[in-house]
Amino acid sequence: MTSVAQPDGRRLAVFAVASEPGNERMALARVAEAVAGHGLPAARLERLKTAVAEATMNAIEHGNQGRPEIPVDVEVIEDGDDIVVTISDLGGEHASAGPVEDPDLALKLEGEQRARGWGLFLIRHMVDGMDVTTDGPRHTVRLTMRTGVPGVPATEGGGHEEDL
Amino acid sequence: MKKTCEANVRALPGAAVIELTGEVDGGAAGVLTAAYERAIADGDPGTVVLDFAHVGYINSTGIALIVSVLARARSQGRKVVASGLSEHYREIFDITRLSDFIELFGDLDAAVSQLTGLTD
Repeated sequence: MTSVAQPDGRRLAVFAVASEPGNERMALARVAEAVAGHGLPAARLERLKTAVAEATMNAIEHGNQGRPEIPVDVEVIEDGDDIVVTISDLGGEHASAGPVEDPDLALKLEGEQRARGWGLFLIRHMVDGMDVTTDGPRHTVRLTMRTGVPGVPATEGGGHEEDL
Repeated sequence: MKKTCEANVRALPGAAVIELTGEVDGGAAGVLTAAYERAIADGDPGTVVLDFAHVGYINSTGIALIVSVLARARSQGRKVVASGLSEHYREIFDITRLSDFIELFGDLDAAVSQLTGLTD
């Protein structure tokens, strides 16, 4: 088990989605709403949205095995000039990482790698940091995105804020 | 999975255009496969254009579907080009190296102009 300290900061949102295909769209929309006005430029927001969607999809499919009664928990925190999004399932250690090797498009086109297997690769390239921790059954992916604009006031669409 | 993607197929001289609308994710598999079948059935086109101008979401499963279409097209000696991608998805095509194998055009008109020029 690896442990990662919980970030200090201000909670922008906390919610859960049922483990059903397609609910990653709900997660990305709620994260986007929560971080609006917190200094993330549009292009980086798009990258964060893609990473959140992919991590949530992994949690639904690989972590919770698509069982709707098991929620995927999502928390959004502003920590200085970092936006930190944690996405947790109850699948314990699982192969959400997909293949260990990076996907190789040339090999895929030759049929020497399966066409799928892009999820974690995309996440890693979309965000500034990604950590994976497991505590018993709880498996958490933590995504970090720097805003580069510390102290920007939350003037629009700030979501549900809660001091930690 | 719920189907959230639609495809319109039309033929050009030497090429076929698949105009996609909605979301390219796991639910698009049947739509994309059927569209490709229709595209190549009419005139044996040398090039297939995938137009994403009305696509708002592509996920990793959608990328895999595009890879499958590209692999199939290449095995048949066809070229695949893409148009109408947003800046974000152009970046993803770069990161995944899809843009090494699929020529990207800003919009469908640009792709069609180029293809028409090539096929005249």
